[in-house]
Amino acid sequence: MAFQSEFINIAIADLSDCAANRKAEGARYVQTLAVNTEAGVDLIYTFMAGDKIDNYKIPAVSKDDVVPSISQDFLAAFVWENEIHDLFGITFEGIAIDFGGAFYDLAVKEPMTVISPAQLAAREKAAKIAAAKAAKEQAQAASAPANADAELEAKLAGMDPEKAAKVRAAMEAKAKKEAAAKAAEKDAEMEAKLAAMDPEKAAKVRAAMEAKAKKEAAAAAQQKEGE
Amino acid sequence: MGKATVIPFGPQHPVLPEPLHLDLVVQDEKVVEAIPQIGFVHRGLEKLVETRDYNQFLYVCERICGICAAGHSIGYAETIERLMGVEVPKRAEYLRVIWHELSRVHSHLLWLGLAADAFGFESLFMHAWRLRERVLDIFEKTTGGRVILSVVKVGGVHRDIDDSQMKEIIYVLDGIMDDYRKIMNTLLTDYSVKNRTVGVGTLSHEEALALSMVGPFARASNVNYDVRSLGNGAYGDLSDFQPILDAQGDCYARVKVRCLEVLQSIEIIKELAAKMPAGDISVTVKGSPAEGAEVCNVLEQPRGECYYYARGNGSKNLERMRIRTPTSQNIAGMVSALKGCDLADVNMVILTIDPCISCTER
Repeated sequence: MAFQSEFINIAIADLSDCAANRKAEGARYVQTLAVNTEAGVDLIYTFMAGDKIDNYKIPAVSKDDVVPSISQDFLAAFVWENEIHDLFGITFEGIAIDFGGAFYDLAVKEPMTVISPAQLAAREKAAKIAAAKAAKEQAQAASAPANADAELEAKLAGMDPEKAAKVRAAMEAKAKKEAAAKAAEKDAEMEAKLAAMDPEKAAKVRAAMEAKAKKEAAAAAQQKEGE
Repeated sequence: MGKATVIPFGPQHPVLPEPLHLDLVVQDEKVVEAIPQIGFVHRGLEKLVETRDYNQFLYVCERICGICAAGHSIGYAETIERLMGVEVPKRAEYLRVIWHELSRVHSHLLWLGLAADAFGFESLFMHAWRLRERVLDIFEKTTGGRVILSVVKVGGVHRDIDDSQMKEIIYVLDGIMDDYRKIMNTLLTDYSVKNRTVGVGTLSHEEALALSMVGPFARASNVNYDVRSLGNGAYGDLSDFQPILDAQGDCYARVKVRCLEVLQSIEIIKELAAKMPAGDISVTVKGSPAEGAEVCNVLEQPRGECYYYARGNGSKNLERMRIRTPTSQNIAGMVSALKGCDLADVNMVILTIDPCISCTER
């Protein structure tokens, strides 16, 4: 691509000066856009000079904030300020042509701030993917302790057999304790999830879990008998 | 001075192909102020990124507007490619530009027909649209679609144009060029056309800059800005691209700039067809845009610069997709051009701006 672009963070208080400065420099106003985030609405003002596009970002603007209009410097901004007011609920002060909330005839108030189930699902999915990635990285990092285990085994082999047996027993007891604590934590999490569920659905899940546990126990018993 | 009267213009009006409303404050048949009102075809398409993944949304983006469909699909695909760091094969870039320039030819011819109809020049309307049909035939032969092409994808294009097809396209375009020159010369030298457009709705170079106008509307006021001259994609391989400018800034200048741009687009297609590189037409794009990653992109649509913005959230769906279309940027210019014109000239001023309301409202 033959143009350059940059995103620069600014505060609401700096917006008017920024617009006036860009106008004085002869930059062209390109657009204003809003992005709904969990922290608030990000406003992005774009100016272009030569082949450089500068995007000035005001992060997390709340509905209580009053944003000064830049339409006195750049008349073309009135369209976007009215649109952002109607779709995101942000208040602008001093818009050159102010429609007072009647720019779009909307069935839903501030529709772009409504987080749809689809968007929520997408965000949760993205969070899960990120968590899985982090877990994978952790597992890779954990391969180093496996080497440490091998080193420990070598050390134990060189020890007095009785002492080594005692160390081994202590280590096994510790590992069992940790595994039991982990299982208890998992059970508690599951119980909390079931408590938050629809009772009928929770009963079904419980029955399925019990059946699974019985099946596993039976399989284990069968294996023992075979041995 | 007579009493000021407010005359509602639109949203349904014989000269408007799409709904736009203007409250015209008129005094002695002169427009003192024009207050625009849009919102009649707002469809909330940008909100659809939440339910369509980034590949599917390309086809939504393409449907923002029928006339600018090719441009929107290319602009959107380029934006996602920038967001995900995808490099598109050179041949795909060339094919995209060829379809985009064909789309500019069809858009300008469509506008020419509508403008001629507004002049009362109905035979010219018929001839302009007859030529446009031949461009639509090229689309049909090369993509399968006449208006919505669906030929672009993230990572390249779906279809190739082989050498024999390219030769045929050039042959058709040469034929269009000969016929087009005849109607263009008629239009630009006709007494009644000049009478209706020369000195009407004038905006100076300084006003055009201050109003941040884009496209042929700005270039008719001598604003030397055309995204194509930045050299994105295959535009960078053109031997010499110079935006078409006019210093008059009136309706006639806007008509002239658009008319000449049709010839310029045909020349671009011919040059790129001769230089067409061999190779793949697409690359496989895997993965999702990273969480919080954001990019912007610009593209010269038939009506001027279109700005695209995308932000990822780590999933296949984008967090935000924004399209700032050229007509919306030109509304401020249109309001200024209307000030001081005769009531009878309002339709000429609006038509020579070539507004696209579907794009504006999305």
